[in-house]
Amino acid sequence: MAQTAVAGTGRKPAPPKMDSHGRSRALARRETVSAYLFLLPSLIFFIGFVVVPMGICFVYSFLDMGINKAATTFVGFANYIEMWNDKTFWQGFWNTVLIVVVSVPAVTAFSLWVGNSIYKMKPIPRSFYRCVFYLPVVTGTVAVTVVWKWMFNPYNGLLNQVTGNIGFDWLGNPHTAIWCIIMILFTTSIGQPIVLYVAALGNVDQSLVEAAEVDGATRRQVFWRIKWPQIMPTTLYILIITTINSFQCFALIQLLTSGGPSGTTSTIMYYIFDMAYKYNRFGYANAMGVILALIIAAFSAVQFKLAKTDNA
Amino acid sequence: MVYRVITIILLILLAIFFIFPLYWIITGSFKDALTINARTPQWFPLNPILDNYVKLFHQPAFRWLLNTVVMAVGSLILTCFTASLAGYALAKKRFFGKAVLFTIIICAMALPKQVIVIPLLQEMQFLGLRDNLLSVILPTVGWPFGVFLMKQFSETIPTEILEAARIDGAGELRTFFSVVFPMIKPGVGALAIFTFVNSWNDYFLQLIMLTKRESLTLPLGIAKMQGEMSSDFGLIMAGAALAAVPIVVVFIAFQKYFTQGIAMGAVKG
Amino acid sequence: MKKLIALLLALIMVFALVACGEATPETSENPPATTDETPTGEEVTITIWTYPIGKFGDDATMVELIGKFEAAHPGIKVEHELIDYTNGDTQVTSAITGGGTPDIIMEGPERLVTNWGKNGVMVDLSDLWTEEITADIAATSEAVVSACQYNGVYYEYPLCMTTHCMAINYEVFEQAGALQYIDEETRTWSTDDFVSAMEAVRDSGLVAVPGIIYCGGQGGDQGTRALVNNLYSGTYTNADHTEYTANSAENVQALQLLVDMVGSGALNANAGFQATEELQQFANGTCAVTFCWNASNKTNYAEQVTFTPFAMAFPTDDGVPELCGGIWGFGIFDNGSDAKIEAAKDFIRFVCDDETQAAESVRLTGFFPVRASLGNVYAGTEQEADAEEFLKLMPFLGDYYNVIGGWSEQRTNWFNMLQNVFITGTDPQTAADEFVEASNANIG
Repeated sequence: MAQTAVAGTGRKPAPPKMDSHGRSRALARRETVSAYLFLLPSLIFFIGFVVVPMGICFVYSFLDMGINKAATTFVGFANYIEMWNDKTFWQGFWNTVLIVVVSVPAVTAFSLWVGNSIYKMKPIPRSFYRCVFYLPVVTGTVAVTVVWKWMFNPYNGLLNQVTGNIGFDWLGNPHTAIWCIIMILFTTSIGQPIVLYVAALGNVDQSLVEAAEVDGATRRQVFWRIKWPQIMPTTLYILIITTINSFQCFALIQLLTSGGPSGTTSTIMYYIFDMAYKYNRFGYANAMGVILALIIAAFSAVQFKLAKTDNA
Repeated sequence: MVYRVITIILLILLAIFFIFPLYWIITGSFKDALTINARTPQWFPLNPILDNYVKLFHQPAFRWLLNTVVMAVGSLILTCFTASLAGYALAKKRFFGKAVLFTIIICAMALPKQVIVIPLLQEMQFLGLRDNLLSVILPTVGWPFGVFLMKQFSETIPTEILEAARIDGAGELRTFFSVVFPMIKPGVGALAIFTFVNSWNDYFLQLIMLTKRESLTLPLGIAKMQGEMSSDFGLIMAGAALAAVPIVVVFIAFQKYFTQGIAMGAVKG
Repeated sequence: MKKLIALLLALIMVFALVACGEATPETSENPPATTDETPTGEEVTITIWTYPIGKFGDDATMVELIGKFEAAHPGIKVEHELIDYTNGDTQVTSAITGGGTPDIIMEGPERLVTNWGKNGVMVDLSDLWTEEITADIAATSEAVVSACQYNGVYYEYPLCMTTHCMAINYEVFEQAGALQYIDEETRTWSTDDFVSAMEAVRDSGLVAVPGIIYCGGQGGDQGTRALVNNLYSGTYTNADHTEYTANSAENVQALQLLVDMVGSGALNANAGFQATEELQQFANGTCAVTFCWNASNKTNYAEQVTFTPFAMAFPTDDGVPELCGGIWGFGIFDNGSDAKIEAAKDFIRFVCDDETQAAESVRLTGFFPVRASLGNVYAGTEQEADAEEFLKLMPFLGDYYNVIGGWSEQRTNWFNMLQNVFITGTDPQTAADEFVEASNANIG
């Protein structure tokens, strides 16, 4: 599975390989045409409203561009060079990496555990849990942050009242702030993966599971040998989507800490937003956006590679 | 057995933890500003009031809700349709340019919206779609999360089944609708919900594209009613509670798709 | 195959329907643009965006105001949209780059003049500034006149102004025996009195925390800035507004005093707090003072406050507070249509200069008129009592240095500096030096 899905390496299915599949050229061409017909409706939207603006973004990243359009100049790689020397960018970069490194495994493992625990339940409890873990997403970021902010309030927040720790500023302490963000990000990130895992685990071929059980396989063996490979595409999707979401964590930070204290919760995304909409430096913001996209794409490529070898 | 009990207890505790914010929002929407911001929390609104909802519907909140629903449902239908076709092709067909296309898709997902939205706005202005719900729907449909998700789901379809269909003389579309689609239905169900919720919550895109009072969405409309140095938490909570209702309804409506998927898994063998 | 074609057709039809349905208002909007060629007799539609500045953020009030204008100016149609402070800048910025800016916008000079005007997207309003009007505004404050222009071009036509101040919880101060430290008549206090008062509040144990220095966020920086500048009469920028001077000996001394007060529990510093949260804590009685107060905040929190919020000037060592000013007025975006620009100017004249409307417009904001000839617009109205305490503070209006370059950058730098001083424990001098270095770099 996923034999050609190698992001980043750009490896194309070469014609001789096609022949090794025993297909004639005419057949290959037919398959290409039919594939593109299937892709067509999607490509119209994708190219029109994603690829085209994406290309424009790339062009903008080489410009010094503000709200004064007349003053726009071509600056080559100057934005990229500035980024390399920008301390704030790097601080944001490392904060972002911390968020990704902690939240991606946590979200994936936790949602797999929940998914595995609930997918065999009766429909009503299963639906209940699936719905419950999806609630923070449903509620919307603005309202959820209002509640969290209240819970973290140093003087009369729920957390400090329960722990008797009145006055401790969770979101204002350089050591705790980012962990609060990661925790809230976690609660808003696990909804989708759980829904997907429940669906994927439910789709696992039961005959294989039964056969293995008849052969005396333990529960653990059944899970890792039979189910895990079959839900691999889902896991891969979850890994990549969670990576992207964690890298792009922005709204929570804007609403909860504005990047503070002392930049300890500033992420690349937050910095990009500031650059574009506060300082109106679109060229620089776009350059950072391009780099962020490349970093994420690289991470995704690694995940694809790992998933493939894992599966082999 | 012990493991099972621990699991259940943990799940229940976690469920409480996850339900609490919504509980607080819903109860909060029935409290006045003084109670919401009181130093000692009131666990249940002792004197429930409807003021926040009255204030909300003093605004064109129905129109905003309708806009949001049209936007989310429009995105949902188009995304499910285009993404299931495209995802199947990406997963099960060999064609020229596949790796390149897939790489572009990943890069596109990785590009932050905050950056891409400026050229997008220029494009919408050019097309005359500013302040039109289409300006939010079209990019949402174009965003390739759906294609990626459906590709991953289609990977699980055994190639032998497709071969069998072909040998039986089924055409491409026939194969898709009568063989592939039923198998990826749980995926489509999940995609439908994700698209609905993501489009509903895609605050940033809505913020940039929609400015006219009559074309606002519910989250935008509520944001506009906040002061410079003061937040009307009651109103925020009433809006969030109101917005959560349709989503929960859609979520429950699509439950049967997941269930079907599970049943199908059993039949398949 | 047929099924798919049918589905596609249906989709296209739905699309067309939605697109056409939504596009109809679009077409009705286009004619005004063509009035460029035929300016006579045609109707002009202009759009105005307002931030929530007093009642200018209230739809019903705006509908009424616009109705009055449209009655007086047949041939001009005004559409109003409200924008909020959280997202407004993002919306305006994207409209400037992507297209779709309004014709008129209402805000202060730090946005209209130093950001948008300086970048050439706004219209020169010099013809609104007649000699008579300029003299009238200068009679209130020269600072307003200079704040509204950049390189000699006027980009803002001001309506109202205020001074940002602080407020105390009168009852808590009374019970803590701290009223002796304030001059209730002039609403001033000395630096030493401020320290004594906060210590008295701390010792009384009436509140969880005497006062909170909020070190986070995007706005409300005027409060902490004025606090630091006033304690030992430091300045924020030099007189020409070409350089930041927040690292002067006076300011560093002030920062050190605040650090000591935080150390003794007479104040607290919270990096997780923005001005809004600090106000919220003031409103629910958690803290006894707020550093972010003005008439508009008083109105917004009136519903939640169960005590008397008593407006005060910031404490000073020399008895002469210098308060930060807030100026609000109108600017016009250059959308390339002379007819629209003229109509927009008519609207601004109506709101700010019309004999019957001008005073009413100022009252809508809850602030004070920039034009001296309007006098006390609240005299004899219901708002008189509320306005009085803020009117008392107007004479303390200090230099309007907000027009210095790099204003949005300095705001981030300022909060970073506070966080470094109060949370990470950086030495005030070092932190202030860093602030000045970073902020001066963006003036250009």
